[in-house]
Amino acid sequence: MDALIVIFITGLISLFVGMLKKPYLTLGIIASGLVLSFCLQMNYGNYTSIFSKYDNLYFNITQLYFSEMAIGFTLLLVLGGFQYFKQDIEHTSDYLSLLLFSLCGAICLIGFTDLFMFFLGLEILSIPIYVMVGIKKQDVLSAEASLKYFFTGSFATAILLFGIALLYGATASFNLATIQEAIQSGSYSEPMLLIALLFIIAAFLFKVGAVPFHFWGPDVYQGAPDIVMAFMATVVKLAAVFAFLKLYAGTFQFLSEFWTGALNIAIILSLFLGYLSALRQTSFKRMLAYSSISNTGFALFALLTTSPSSAGSLWVFLVAYGCATIALVTISMIIHNVDDKIAAFKGIGYKNPFIGFVMIMSLLSLSGIPPLSGFFGKFLLLSNAINDHLYLVILALVSSAIGAFLYLRMIVLSLAKETENTVEKYPISILQYIVLGVCTVGLLGGWLIIIL
Amino acid sequence: MNPTTTNLSASIEFYILLSCVLFTIGALGVLVRRNMIVLLMCIELMLNAVNLLLVAFSTYYGQGDAQIFVFFIIVVAAAEATVGLSILIMAYRNNKSTDVGLFKTLKD
Repeated sequence: MDALIVIFITGLISLFVGMLKKPYLTLGIIASGLVLSFCLQMNYGNYTSIFSKYDNLYFNITQLYFSEMAIGFTLLLVLGGFQYFKQDIEHTSDYLSLLLFSLCGAICLIGFTDLFMFFLGLEILSIPIYVMVGIKKQDVLSAEASLKYFFTGSFATAILLFGIALLYGATASFNLATIQEAIQSGSYSEPMLLIALLFIIAAFLFKVGAVPFHFWGPDVYQGAPDIVMAFMATVVKLAAVFAFLKLYAGTFQFLSEFWTGALNIAIILSLFLGYLSALRQTSFKRMLAYSSISNTGFALFALLTTSPSSAGSLWVFLVAYGCATIALVTISMIIHNVDDKIAAFKGIGYKNPFIGFVMIMSLLSLSGIPPLSGFFGKFLLLSNAINDHLYLVILALVSSAIGAFLYLRMIVLSLAKETENTVEKYPISILQYIVLGVCTVGLLGGWLIIIL
Repeated sequence: MNPTTTNLSASIEFYILLSCVLFTIGALGVLVRRNMIVLLMCIELMLNAVNLLLVAFSTYYGQGDAQIFVFFIIVVAAAEATVGLSILIMAYRNNKSTDVGLFKTLKD
């Protein structure tokens, strides 16, 4: 709770500091605010807060880990994207504070204990992103992406709300614990509850971008600015997947025979449609968007088991995925990939070995090669599900092979010899070095999980 | 699940039916219509159908919390309409049209 308030106040302060037009001052305030909230979350429970009586937000150890991940990713994105934000000196702080407000929503969505906070968190998460996607006002693509995201997003919100209303009608409560009790004791009106579950699962699949409702993803990712796209692929996705996990694998777990069928279909379609569509893309961001659909399919494996370790394996998977995405997007910004082409990465390993190394590490991790974090994430998720859903795991391995082809093709591209002999130097700011370094540590440190 | 003795002139089923009909009209409108402003209005209609449903359930159960939820929804709908209208204006400046069918630059 304190972390949430610190983030919100930091966002407000940076909005006002923005009037001074000193981007480095704004960056300092934002970064220190995020670090402070990160430390507050680390020490959650070790101190008595004046808000500790507020029980609509509750963080146990899993929720703390997820909210720290969200804060950490936002910090990395703020640092990595600062070069980009700084170009538009009038609006640097607007960008950054919108990111922070959206992060507030993500934290609400991680820590909610009733549907009030859940709904508010989802909206606080989404509304700043509608704005941020369209923040390049003169850009036709950006405006179109923003429009598409807004209409599809608010349509999904309306469907979610109808689901919540029916859920309230079926169980007479908004509190997750009370709803779970009502389901367990059987004191609910069955048809309404089941319809509510379908409405809510549809809205969730939309928000995480899984297949039957994925159509907005590639368009919006392509039109959005790089950093906003990375924010959507990491923080938004992790918050939405975690809320999905909490609601379905937690509150509705006794109705699982009803909703697992729908979820299985969504997972299978996501796994294959994402990677197969990614294979024929030439746009880098579109490729990332389609591969993020498949990665969502992997992340949804956490919902299939109610074992307590599934949240932990989801965490490992999302850390690996987030670090790889942030590293790739940062590299794309470093090489000024304005045209958004995959071909722009050609020969990057020769031009700048450091960038090449980070890029190869993140691609290998995304494809799930053993010593890297991505492998451990996928391994933990799939090994949790292997007992009950063997055929799903086999399909996931097949799709993983397609994904490996996709990523290895990019590695080959990045190691290709340059035909025309243009030696360009890419200036990397110290902040981008830090971001790439942290991401590499995140990618290489996955084996620590096994030891711990 | 004991309905409290409130003076509901019609039973709860009618309210559920009415809000389902309103919601469906809104959803169909979003799917069928092409004008962005009408789309925005249809989404508002869907949200208001939810509001009606929540208020009806709130009276049915004799609890106040769904009515509080309605206030939250109204506030969020206002925020969404604000953002939506400004996005709409931005899109209109780029395209000189409010027809959503014209936005097809981004595709495979």
